[in-house]
Amino acid sequence: MKKLLVLGILALVGVAMAQPKVFRGTEPGRPGGAFRVAAISDPRTFNPFVARETSSTDIIQLFLPWLTGYNPYTQAVEGRLARSWEVRNNGLTVIFRLREGVRWSDGRPLDADDVIFSATVHADRAVNSNARMSFELDGQPIRWTKIDQHTVRADFPKPFAPALIQSWFIAPRHIFEPAYRAGVPQLQALWSLDTPVAQIISGGPFRLEAYVRGERVVLVRNPNHWGVDERGAAVAYLERYTIQIVPNLEAAMARFLAGDTDVFNAANADQVAQVLERIRGGRLAGEIFPNADVTMGTNFIVFNWNNRDANKARLFRQVQFRRAMAHLMDKESMVEVALGGLGKPQWSPISIPARAFFTDDVPKFEFNPRRAAQLLAELGFRTRNRDGWLVNAQGQELRFNLFTNQGNTVRERIAEIFRDEARKIGVRVEYRPIDFNELVRQLTGVAPDGTREFDAILIGLTGGVEPAFARNVWQIDGPLRMWNLGPTGQRPAQVEAFEVLMDNLMRRGATTLDQAQRRQIYVQFQRVVAENLPIIYTVAPAFNPARLARMGGMFPREQINSFVGQFPYIETVFAKN
Amino acid sequence: MTDYILRRMLQLVPTFLGATLLAFLVIQLAPGDFVTRLELDPTITREAIADLRQEFGLDQPLPVQYAKWLSNIVQGELGLSLMFKTDVWSVIGPRIYNSMVLVVLATLIIYLVAIPIGVYSAVRKYTVPDRAFTVLAFLGLATPNFFFALIMLFLAIRLFDLTDMRILPIGGMTTEFINIGSLTQAAQWLIWPVLVGFLGLAALVWQRARRMHLVPISWRLGLWLLGFSGIFLLFPLLQGPGLPEMLPSTEAPWWARTVNILWHAIPVVIVVATAGMAGLMRVMRGQMLEVLSQDYIRTARSKGLSERVVIYKHALRNAVIPFIAGIGGLLPALIGGAGLVEVVMAWPGITPMLLEAIAAIDVYVVMGLVTVTTFLLILGNLVSDLLLAWVDPRIRYS
Repeated sequence: MKKLLVLGILALVGVAMAQPKVFRGTEPGRPGGAFRVAAISDPRTFNPFVARETSSTDIIQLFLPWLTGYNPYTQAVEGRLARSWEVRNNGLTVIFRLREGVRWSDGRPLDADDVIFSATVHADRAVNSNARMSFELDGQPIRWTKIDQHTVRADFPKPFAPALIQSWFIAPRHIFEPAYRAGVPQLQALWSLDTPVAQIISGGPFRLEAYVRGERVVLVRNPNHWGVDERGAAVAYLERYTIQIVPNLEAAMARFLAGDTDVFNAANADQVAQVLERIRGGRLAGEIFPNADVTMGTNFIVFNWNNRDANKARLFRQVQFRRAMAHLMDKESMVEVALGGLGKPQWSPISIPARAFFTDDVPKFEFNPRRAAQLLAELGFRTRNRDGWLVNAQGQELRFNLFTNQGNTVRERIAEIFRDEARKIGVRVEYRPIDFNELVRQLTGVAPDGTREFDAILIGLTGGVEPAFARNVWQIDGPLRMWNLGPTGQRPAQVEAFEVLMDNLMRRGATTLDQAQRRQIYVQFQRVVAENLPIIYTVAPAFNPARLARMGGMFPREQINSFVGQFPYIETVFAKN
Repeated sequence: MTDYILRRMLQLVPTFLGATLLAFLVIQLAPGDFVTRLELDPTITREAIADLRQEFGLDQPLPVQYAKWLSNIVQGELGLSLMFKTDVWSVIGPRIYNSMVLVVLATLIIYLVAIPIGVYSAVRKYTVPDRAFTVLAFLGLATPNFFFALIMLFLAIRLFDLTDMRILPIGGMTTEFINIGSLTQAAQWLIWPVLVGFLGLAALVWQRARRMHLVPISWRLGLWLLGFSGIFLLFPLLQGPGLPEMLPSTEAPWWARTVNILWHAIPVVIVVATAGMAGLMRVMRGQMLEVLSQDYIRTARSKGLSERVVIYKHALRNAVIPFIAGIGGLLPALIGGAGLVEVVMAWPGITPMLLEAIAAIDVYVVMGLVTVTTFLLILGNLVSDLLLAWVDPRIRYS
C-alpha cells in the first residue's frame, strides 16, 4: 500500500516536472552540502554570447542549458535539454524534441523560442559569439527553425557527422531579446560582471548567488532544474557550489592541502608527491590518482615547408628527413625529465582520451639515433665538417632553428632533450624559447610570396573528442595547417600526395554518419599522419586528479578520464558529511 | 604660492601625455594583440578573428587608437576593457581598494616600527641590538616577497596541522562564511581586559595631567587604541547574540567583515612590511647619526638638557624631514598594489589583475592603471614639495 502511494506521488511529481533528464550517478547520493573548487582567474563575463575563455564558460555551464552533449561514461551523444532527436533527409535534417515543462529559475517557460533565439544570436556575425562555428559548415549556414513549442529543426547544407552535438548555451529569450533588438552592444552589455547576480536567471542545475571580485563565485541549487536521479529525486544534490579564485598554482595546492577545496588537479610530479605525502601522513582525508589519464592537449614539433630558404623547404618536405627527426625523439626521457615520470608518449594526431576514435596501432618511428643518421645519409648528409656538424656534398650544414613559447617549462624541456639528441649525431639545432604571440605570428604569417619565416616550432593544440572540429588543422585550405600553409584561405602552392589523402579522409570523416565507418576513417587518418609525420608528436602530460574523501558521486580510478574529469555529472556529486 | 601650484598643474599636461604615450607604445611593441591568442584555436575561423579585431578597434592604426583613447580620457572615461567588455574603472577600482587595505596597513606598520628602531640603532650604534637589527634588515631586504609569501602559506598549514585551529589564513581576503558566534564570544572575553586597561591607563594619565607632568606620547596612543577597541567591541556585543552562528561574508555585519579582512591581512602585511621596513630602518639610522653629530646637538647637551629631550626634540625632528618629503611619493604607491605577494596569497588586489591584463594584452586596463598612477605620482610630488616648504622654513617657492 505504502509502495503504491510512493509510486503515485512519484507519478504526480513526474507529471508536474514533465520530462526530466535522468542523471545516472556513480552511487546513490543525498541532497545538501557544498562543493568547493579553485579557479586560476576571475570569470570575464556571465554573458553566453560574449564568453570566450574557460574561466567564464566553466561557470556559465552551471546555470545555462544546452541541447546535447557527450555521455560521460560512453562518450556517445546524449540529450541534455533535448529529450530525443530524429535524423531525416539522409542526415541533412535533425529534429530535436525538447523536454516539456522546463522552466527558468524566474518561472518563465524554457522552450523552443529560447533555443531558436539563442541559435539566431550565436549565428549572427555581428555578435561574433564563440559558438558561431557551430552554425556554419564550410561557409554555408546551418538553419534552425521552430516546429512547435517543444520541437526545433536544424537543416544542414550537407551531411555533418557531429550534427547531433549541439553544446552551445541557450539563453533566456525574454531577457536577451529586447537588448538584441536595441543593438549588439546592448546585447553584449547584458550579464556582465557588474550585473547584480540576482538578475541572472538559471536554466541549469545551479543559480548564481554571489560574486565577489577576485575572491569567489558562489552558486546555489536551482530548484527548477530539469534533472532527476535514477530514483526520481530531484538533482543537483549539492546545495552550494563555490569557485574560489586563486591565481597561483602553489596557493591553490595549499588550499587543497588544508581541506579548503574539495578537488585539485596536480600539475606535476612535485605536486603529486606533496599531496601523496600529506594523505599518507594521515593529515588529509583524500585520494589522489597519479597518471590516471593523459590530458587532451598535444605537444608536437612542426617543420616549415614554406621556408624562405628553398634548400630547407626542400629538405623539410622529404619524408625521410621527418622520420629521421622522429627517430631522434627520446620520448622516454621526455616523460621522465620533462613530465617527472607522469605522462605518455604520443604517436597519433587524436588525443589519447578520445576513446571513440583514438588508435595506438599506427606506424611508430621510435627513438633510434643510428637509424636517424642512416636516413640523413640517404639524403646526402654523410660527412661531418670541422665543427662536427653534418654536411652534404655541397658543403651545406644540416642546421635549423627550433622555437617554443617561453614560460612553458614542459615544452622547453622537451625541446632541449630533442636538441641534445640531434646534436649528438651532428644535426645543428639552435633552440630558443620566444614569446607566445611571436610564435603565433611566425606560424600563421604567410608572406605575399607564400613563404614563412621559421624553421621548426614546438607547440601544442588543445584537443577535443570530436576530430571533425580539427578540420582547420588538416584540410588543405585550413588556416592552421602549420607545416604547409597557403596564403589566407587558399591552398598552398605545392601539395604532397598524402596531404590530399588526409584532406579527403577529414572531409569524409566529417560527413559520414555511421559510427563504425567513421572510426575506420579516422583510424586510417591517424596512420597516414603517423607515417608521413607532417606534425611530429612528442609526449602527453598526465592527468593527476585528487579529491577529498568527503565527496561522493565520483568516478572510481578506472573511469577517471581527462575529458570528463573526476565525476560524470555535477548533478550527482554529493557531500558525504 | 598659488602661482607655483598653477604652474605645477600646467606642467602636469605634457608629463601626462609623455608618460601615457610611452606606456601605450611599450604595450604595442609586444608582439601580437588581444586577439592573437585565439588564432591557434581550431574551432575559430579566420573571419571571426578579423571581425573581433574590428570590433575591438585593433585593426586601426596606432595613432588613431591612441587618439581615441585620449579623447575618452579628456571626457573623464578610462575606456572599455577588452577582456571584460566593461568600463576599465569598474575593473580596477575595487581591486585598487583591496590593495589599499594592505598598503595602508603595511605603511603604518613600517613607519611605526622602522623609525623607533632606526633611532634606537643610531643612539646605541654598534651595540648587539643594533647589529641584530642590521642583520634582520638585510635579511628582510634580501628575501624576495613572493618567496616569503610562500613560506607564510606553508607556515599557515603547519600551524593548522599542529594546533588543528586556523591561526593564520591560507590566502584570500575573506572567508566564504564568517563565524559570528565565535567572534561574539571573543568580544565577550576581550571587553573586560580592554575596559580594565582603559580605565587604569585613564586614571594614570589623569593623575599625571593634574600634577602638570608630561604625559608620554605612548600612553596617549595606548589610551586612544584601547578606547577605539572598546567602542568597536560594543558592536559584536550588542548585535552578535541576535545573529545566526554562521553568515556568508557578503551578508555579515561590517564589524565581522572588518575583523575577517584584518585577520586575512596579517600574513600579507607581515610580508610586505618586513621588506619595506628594512630600508627605512637603515635610512632613519643614517639620518639620525648625521644629525647627532651636528654642532647644535652638542650645544643642546652642553646646556644640560636631558638625553630624552636632545634626541626626541632636537635630533629626531630634524632627522625626519626627508621622510616627510617622501610622503607624497606614497600616494601612487597606495594604488600600485603590494606586488607578487597578492598573487601568491590570492589577495584580490591590483597586481593579479595587472598581470592578467598584460598577459592578455588588454591595452586599456593597463593604460587605465598607468593613467591613474601617473596622475597620482604628479600630484604626490606636488604635495611633497608643499609639505617640505611647510616643515622646513629654509625652503620657499616663489
